[in-house]
Amino acid sequence: MPEVSKMKKPDVKLVLLGDMNVGKTSLLHRYTERKFKDTVSTVGGAFFLKQWGPYNISIWDTAGREQFHGLGSMYCRGAAAVILTYDVSNWQSLAELEERFLSLTDTANHDCIYALVGNKADLTDPRAQLCQDSDEASKDRMDCGEERTETQVLSACPTPPASPVSLSGITPGKQVTPEDAMALYGRILRYKGLEEKSSLPAEKMCFETSAKTGYNVDNLFEALFDLVLPSILRNTNENQHSPTVDLEECRGAKRGRPGCC
Amino acid sequence: MSHRDEDVTADSWRQHRKHVFVLSEAGKPIYSRYGSEEALSSTMGVMMALVSFVQSGDNIIRSIYSDGHTVVFLQKGPLVLVCVSSSRQTEKQLRGELLYVYYQIISMLTQASISRIFEHKKNYDLRRLLAGSEKILDGLLNLVDSDPSFLLVAVQCLPLASSLRDNISQILQKAITPNLVFSILIANNQLLTIVQEKTVIEDSRLEPADIHLLLNLIGASSAFQAGEIWTPICLPLFNPDCYFYAYISYLDPPECTVCLLLLSTDKEAFYAVAECKRKIEEAMMAQNSLSLIAKVQSYSVSQVGVSDLRHFMYKPFDVPDTYQQLTQFTSPEMEAPYSSEEEKMRLLDLYRYMHSRIHSTSRPLKLIYHVAERETLLAWVTSKFELYTCFSPLVTKACAITAITKLLRWIKKEEDRLFIRYPPKYSTTPNPSKSSRGGKSDQQDSTDNGFLSLL
Ligand SMILES: Nc1nc2c(ncn2[C@@H]2O[C@H](COP(=O)(O)OP(=O)(O)OP(=O)(O)O)[C@@H](O)[C@H]2O)c(=O)[nH]1
Ligand SMILES: [Mg+2]
Repeated sequence: MPEVSKMKKPDVKLVLLGDMNVGKTSLLHRYTERKFKDTVSTVGGAFFLKQWGPYNISIWDTAGREQFHGLGSMYCRGAAAVILTYDVSNWQSLAELEERFLSLTDTANHDCIYALVGNKADLTDPRAQLCQDSDEASKDRMDCGEERTETQVLSACPTPPASPVSLSGITPGKQVTPEDAMALYGRILRYKGLEEKSSLPAEKMCFETSAKTGYNVDNLFEALFDLVLPSILRNTNENQHSPTVDLEECRGAKRGRPGCC
Repeated sequence: MSHRDEDVTADSWRQHRKHVFVLSEAGKPIYSRYGSEEALSSTMGVMMALVSFVQSGDNIIRSIYSDGHTVVFLQKGPLVLVCVSSSRQTEKQLRGELLYVYYQIISMLTQASISRIFEHKKNYDLRRLLAGSEKILDGLLNLVDSDPSFLLVAVQCLPLASSLRDNISQILQKAITPNLVFSILIANNQLLTIVQEKTVIEDSRLEPADIHLLLNLIGASSAFQAGEIWTPICLPLFNPDCYFYAYISYLDPPECTVCLLLLSTDKEAFYAVAECKRKIEEAMMAQNSLSLIAKVQSYSVSQVGVSDLRHFMYKPFDVPDTYQQLTQFTSPEMEAPYSSEEEKMRLLDLYRYMHSRIHSTSRPLKLIYHVAERETLLAWVTSKFELYTCFSPLVTKACAITAITKLLRWIKKEEDRLFIRYPPKYSTTPNPSKSSRGGKSDQQDSTDNGFLSLL
């Protein structure tokens, strides 16, 4: 039988949650395909299997539309990590996380980790406007400019404009600061009944990213993959009914860049 | 770039051939084909006033004609749909198109939940639930304008050697899991084959409109074609109140022309259904079916070998009853002189005109011979088929009749290739309860989807 047709059993599950339009699909796409391209609003949820070192990580990219709200808890069932995504230029998208999405994570694993991700940082933070894709910087710089018309506006003004509002031409909602996100992270821990001291610290779990420029995107996913490694190992052990852990292998996984599959 | 940003006060906005608006009974804008609903809320208000004015007199507004425009109203439950058209289509045809729009909305939300929402709150803003779905409705309206499937209420399948189609059907037939009800394979947005659960639709056939809505939904929402999609979807003609769960995945990334669609009644069945896909993929790879399918194309009218015949649409009625087959039609590619968008549309308009004469409520016709400026058309309906043909303008009536005889003979000879003849079935429900047809479990399903929590 050909290799491809074999179902790769996922070792762990990650879920992207957040309001529509915050850029969940774009983030995943940036990470897996190293590109920023046009998306359509996701229907239901889309399942991806990502090979990371020797492990298979399943990622659910869910729809943010209210229409699909009722499905959220199903996608979250048994999740090892939930990426709560908001749009840094839109305060409401952060508020929605608490109002609409947090309760969906009740079905996640009890030791599930939560990351708060403020996407579209390119709209508010000059640092995020630079294309920064580690390995293929030069190629990517072209990528960022070519696929989007709006990017042309950007490259036409090399110095960041004083107000990020004028950058996109539209008036985004009130912006979200990293402090706002960290405060929410604290409330999430409380909601989950977790001790702040024994949990992962907010500084480590709050990210600002840009799917458009690639800013911080690899960092986000790889940090999370590292953090779910214990879950992966537990699952793979359960799957194989073997109590031994191959330490060599997991270190390899940490170091090795996950190739695109 | 987007129609949403159009200036609704500009002339160009007025000049669109066909406007479509959806509003709630309370007059709240829900959808507009061109321009944003916000910008149009006053226009919608006027429409609503019109509707309620006439409703109060107990005669529901059906349509208005004024200087080259036809305005058609359709009320369905708490929704009001309006079409303003400068095309020469009849009221009946336009109403049929509005019905497709209504059904597409139902396919996303279900009728039960829409009624429930508006029962709770008369002036609910349905855009909250439809936000992000505008592209799906836009896509539908473009298809309705450009694809005769909607006019004929029939499905066109890709022409395929029957042995190959049977092979593929058998592959689908073998890859099953409990509660799987339909397995559908699509290539280039056209149906390749459809296999269905035995008991689920024993008493009814799958309606073409449901397939159209499904195909449109897939086309409009799977642009990011990696990944495997799992989403609720309602087939409004099959049952407007319940959801199926659709598994959508392309078999040939990155080309993404061959799409597998598996429908289950079980919300939790994703992994089991995804496993069916692996089996299908594996079997297709072993038989090398994918590369064969990828080569399949529609056909050229020249294959018929009848000079002067430029194009045709043939919809048979004589399907073997026991198979309760999907209503289908066949039609060649539109080629020169109908290659440009304008000319395609012109030919379709001629067909729409012929169709309206054949299906006229007051004076239906069986046969029409219509000499137009740049072509001659002949439409013919019998107890066995409905046929529309387009000839070069110089054809004589006698020639056209001979040509049609030849055409019918050709279709007969090719029918195994042109149509899905004997759609196979499988059985996945151990105890054949027809739960997917309006059973109690469905009610629960749609509440489960969280609509009530929004109110
Ligand atoms: N400026 C900027 N725009 C972005 C970024 N990420 C996404 N977008 C844009 O935001 C819009 C929505 O992106 P998606 O990735 O489709 O959003 P989503 O969260 O998947 O939305 P749903 O699928 O509807 O839940 C698109 O127009 C993207 O181009 C970003 O980092 N910066
Ligand atoms: Mg998305």
